[in-house]
Amino acid sequence: MIHEKNFEKNDQFTLTMMPGGFAKKMRTCLIFQAFRFAVINIKMLVVVSKSH
Amino acid sequence: MARLIVMGGGVSGHTTATFAKKWLGKEHEVVVVTPNSQWNWIPSNIWVGVGQMTKKDVVFPLAPVYKKAGIDYRQAKAVSIHPEGKEGDETPFITIEYTSPDKAGQTEEISYDYLVNATGPKLNFDATPGLGNGAGQMGSHTVSVCTADHAVHANEELQKIFDKAKNGTRQKILVGTGHGLCTCQGAAFEYIFNIEHEAKKAGVRDMLDIKWISNESFMGDFGMGGLHMKVGGYVVSSKLFAESLFAERDVPWLIGAHVNKVENGKAHYELLDGTMGVEEFDFAMLIPPFAGVGIKAYAKDGSDMTDKIFAPNGFMKVDADYSGKPYSEWKASDWPRTYQNPDYKNMFAAGIAFAPPHPISKPMKSVNGTDIFPTPPRTGMPAGIIGKAVAYTICDMIKDPNAKPHEASMAEMGAACVASAGKGLTSGTAAAMTVYPVVPDFEKYPGTGRDTNYTFGEIGLAGHWIKHVLHHMFIWKAKLRPAWTLIPE
Repeated sequence: MIHEKNFEKNDQFTLTMMPGGFAKKMRTCLIFQAFRFAVINIKMLVVVSKSH
Repeated sequence: MARLIVMGGGVSGHTTATFAKKWLGKEHEVVVVTPNSQWNWIPSNIWVGVGQMTKKDVVFPLAPVYKKAGIDYRQAKAVSIHPEGKEGDETPFITIEYTSPDKAGQTEEISYDYLVNATGPKLNFDATPGLGNGAGQMGSHTVSVCTADHAVHANEELQKIFDKAKNGTRQKILVGTGHGLCTCQGAAFEYIFNIEHEAKKAGVRDMLDIKWISNESFMGDFGMGGLHMKVGGYVVSSKLFAESLFAERDVPWLIGAHVNKVENGKAHYELLDGTMGVEEFDFAMLIPPFAGVGIKAYAKDGSDMTDKIFAPNGFMKVDADYSGKPYSEWKASDWPRTYQNPDYKNMFAAGIAFAPPHPISKPMKSVNGTDIFPTPPRTGMPAGIIGKAVAYTICDMIKDPNAKPHEASMAEMGAACVASAGKGLTSGTAAAMTVYPVVPDFEKYPGTGRDTNYTFGEIGLAGHWIKHVLHHMFIWKAKLRPAWTLIPE
């Protein structure tokens, strides 16, 4: 699988984890990221309010 | 009428001065002393460094903003502090040296009732031979994204590298920390992945070897000892996600490294296991270590008391525990709460300018005895919160000298951070994170030191949009545009 090709490049890469094709696609999926934009902003505002 | 002097006009100093002036009104004076004529939104410098923003996008002139706010603005650097005054006059004062073109080199004394040191870091390039030019400035072998001008130069050099790559010559890019005691690994992280992203866009990624070098003992430390977050039913260390991103983007790493010399195309380093090595490069961005800006302090009789007011690293002592206790005894309560100098209660240090009691990350020494570990970060949100708390305290003290200081411990506040991994309205990504608290409290949160309900991170386009929003929002706030006080630090 293309997203797994880096595993063989060196020992460092072999021993970590790699996102699959779906996980990578969702990072720039506009609809999903619009939802995440709202969620992350809420999470950040909660932390901001706890800090003031 | 009282006079507050704020030394420094960055995130922390600007926040202190503008809020103090707003709350004090015309009855009291607020003076800002800063050698810079412009305010810089530093988090966006990395985009200037890859040509995705211009210098104009990240700076604006301070004079008109301070004039609008009624703040007395002196474009000058602070040279010395005299908290006891001098013989015959006990009024405390500072001495400044103007950097504005019309008064360059002129010195002046300015008395104060309250003083805030928000001078930020000295970019200590000369701490690593070859990283600096020997005269306190960046050397010629590497680039930097610490200032807007540095970032403009960095992009110019980066484009030359891309051109060589396009012409078929393989190029090596090295990004990370330029000394064993650096902080700001996050900025280097952003820069390396923005370079990688731009390289892909330019069609030259396969002609570049991009490598990370840092003083962290594990990937994802970022000067905070890493963080733990809940993912898929597990509580996971940031190490896993940091390593994953580097592997995914084909960027190998060299960590536990103290860069001890830089030459043309070569970075010499020592590792924690004592190994000495050399990384060759065609282009390198290595963050310099930070120090205090070098302000001196004098007693009433003129004797030098810099060591009393400042820690050896040049940062100002505040209400922190400087006893030098070992790592096993570190506590959240070691960290300051009020940022008042312990000897002079009308003097404060905010943002990067205060001396931390110790690092957050575990201190490590190489087998040769070389210190190699990240020093603590003071990112924008805590810097702003501290600045505002100090402003509150001073305004209360002006009304009542015995007023209780406001508190803003980094062990009781969180931070929201966004680390860009590439710019693009529909193709960009960034790691959006919250950490609560910034300084881990292992007594309150056994195991991770942080509340995992409020500590998280994820990478995606949403994070990139947030970084854009923050860019515009904080510049709006710093310019004191309408409703600026409603924007939280």
